[in-house]
Amino acid sequence: MSNEKFKLHPAAVLINVVKALKDLLVPIAIIIVANGFNFNFDYRSKDFFGEMVPLMILSVVLLWTIINGGIKWWTFVYWFEDSELRVEYGLFVKKKRYIPFERIQNLNYKEGIFHRIFKLVEVQIETAGSKNGKPEAELTAVTRAAADEIEIRMKYAKNQQAIIEENEQPIIEKVPSTVVHKMQIPELLLLATTSSGMGVVLAGVFAAVSQFAEFIPFDAIYDEVAFLMKYSFIAVAIIIALVLLLTWIISVGFTCLNYYNFTVSKEQERLIITRGLIEKKRVTIPLNRVQAIKIVENPFQQLLGLASVAVESAGGGFSGEANKKIILLPLIAKKELLTPLEELFPDYDFSLSSHVKPPKKALPFFYRIDFIWFVPLVGLISYFFYPYGLLSLLLIVPIILLGRWQFKTTGYTLYENQITIVSRVISRVTFFAVKKRIQVTQGRQTYFQKRRDIGSAKIVVMSGMTGASAIVRHIDQQEVETILCWYEK
Amino acid sequence: MRAQPQNQLPKKAVTVWRLYGFFQTMILALLAAGAVFLTIKFSWPVWIQWLMIVIVVLSIICSIIIFPNIRWKIWRYEVREQEIEIQSGLFIVTRTLIPMVRVQHVDTEQGPILKKYNLANISISSAATVHTIPMLELEYADMLRMKISELARVAEDDV
Repeated sequence: MSNEKFKLHPAAVLINVVKALKDLLVPIAIIIVANGFNFNFDYRSKDFFGEMVPLMILSVVLLWTIINGGIKWWTFVYWFEDSELRVEYGLFVKKKRYIPFERIQNLNYKEGIFHRIFKLVEVQIETAGSKNGKPEAELTAVTRAAADEIEIRMKYAKNQQAIIEENEQPIIEKVPSTVVHKMQIPELLLLATTSSGMGVVLAGVFAAVSQFAEFIPFDAIYDEVAFLMKYSFIAVAIIIALVLLLTWIISVGFTCLNYYNFTVSKEQERLIITRGLIEKKRVTIPLNRVQAIKIVENPFQQLLGLASVAVESAGGGFSGEANKKIILLPLIAKKELLTPLEELFPDYDFSLSSHVKPPKKALPFFYRIDFIWFVPLVGLISYFFYPYGLLSLLLIVPIILLGRWQFKTTGYTLYENQITIVSRVISRVTFFAVKKRIQVTQGRQTYFQKRRDIGSAKIVVMSGMTGASAIVRHIDQQEVETILCWYEK
Repeated sequence: MRAQPQNQLPKKAVTVWRLYGFFQTMILALLAAGAVFLTIKFSWPVWIQWLMIVIVVLSIICSIIIFPNIRWKIWRYEVREQEIEIQSGLFIVTRTLIPMVRVQHVDTEQGPILKKYNLANISISSAATVHTIPMLELEYADMLRMKISELARVAEDDV
């Protein structure tokens, strides 16, 4: 059995093609739309060839995609040798990649709809070197058994057990995994309601409507609405409610597709997140690669005492999701937050008892910066839309209120080897980082801050290419220096 | 009050920054000249011309005359056994602390202008960020690069 070469499941061709077509969707749509759907199939007409060009380009592209998908499957082999996973593919240009088992950080699984039909999985192999969220190697479609085989081999190599004997079946006991958190249906509904998903759907609806604007008889509708308005506001209110209901249902639909059966479990020192209804995804993160933890509450959620939790991880995540932020708990009541977090990250302190705040004199700084864009904007609006444009001056009220809110939220706490930073732009973000994970600490002070003896401090942890950072703004300069000294120790 | 980092950049840096400012202004002046030309050709409002001239004059005053000096006064760095501290900025003074344990690699680099003045930049990369100490004397920059990489190798992750 050694050195036996394995091929992917033939369904990989289909999946490859569908994947490639997904990427080509935009250019294809452009070709079709630019042509105005006017394909001319009358070969006697004299513009026949001229009008066929886009269609020909389209079919060449399609053909190429299909052949490419086929070739990739045809030439793709993987096998195990010298405790390495070896992958080879390519027709003219042979690509080979050998990955030592002990370098493999984790295997992520993904099941799309076609995988489901053929009972397959996509395996993404990640090493510490995989940057940009791109996996080191990708087995597009293999059977469950084959995927398990890789995992078993990997575990063997990692445990540095002797070479697997020829005919000996590797026996590995299933490591018990404990479920840390599982999302329930009510939480799913709440998530769909309170997250920004609704806004996205609304924007989408408007975009779609504006696309078909020319087909909608606005005049007729306007008359209709005017008629309705005359009779009852209730009717209008009902229509608005219906639209909102519709977006809510769509939003719930999307959320369910993505987060259905969201489960976080812990297996040894690894964190496993599974989710998805049609496309099932399973991601594994070694706990020691978690760089920082973020609790995010948008204003709605804060009002209802809810929060979501994300982790910043060095490497990991699903391919194609460029940022390394991984949603750990999409939505949870703040009261229940501590249990799963403390179980997963015992070395963090999630309490927020003593909290260093910015001084009173720093308050104006939270909204002063906004006047840089505010003054010219109001100036322009007032100039062009005089006298009504002057109403834009009223914007000053929400800006100042938001600034006050940010001021009230901001704060930080230092522990012996952890820092907790709370800040807000709109959503309140609580950022937990341990000292040994912080890459760089910065203190900064603008000219104006210097005059009031305040400053800001920024920490950066590793995450993706540019890192993730948290800033405490406008605290006493003394405090900034405390943070720098704490970090230096 | 934390003491400022000890070392300053060589005085030559001011000259180089002035040179950079000069090139920037040249590009800006070219764009402005284009705009003025268009204004005259299509007889757009006159204030556009004045705006362009003001922008160029401001660029001359700021990026050639004033800023290089301020930059030089603010720029400081210090390489200690356990960490590197860099102070930089113009209006915003930023102080960056990079522990030696976090240093991944150190590069020196030299463009044509820097080469003429026998200067080089050092850039220090951590896993997530890159920080530059610009315009050091070439020999000194090489020495510093060696020193940092040595210190970085010695530094141990104690936590």
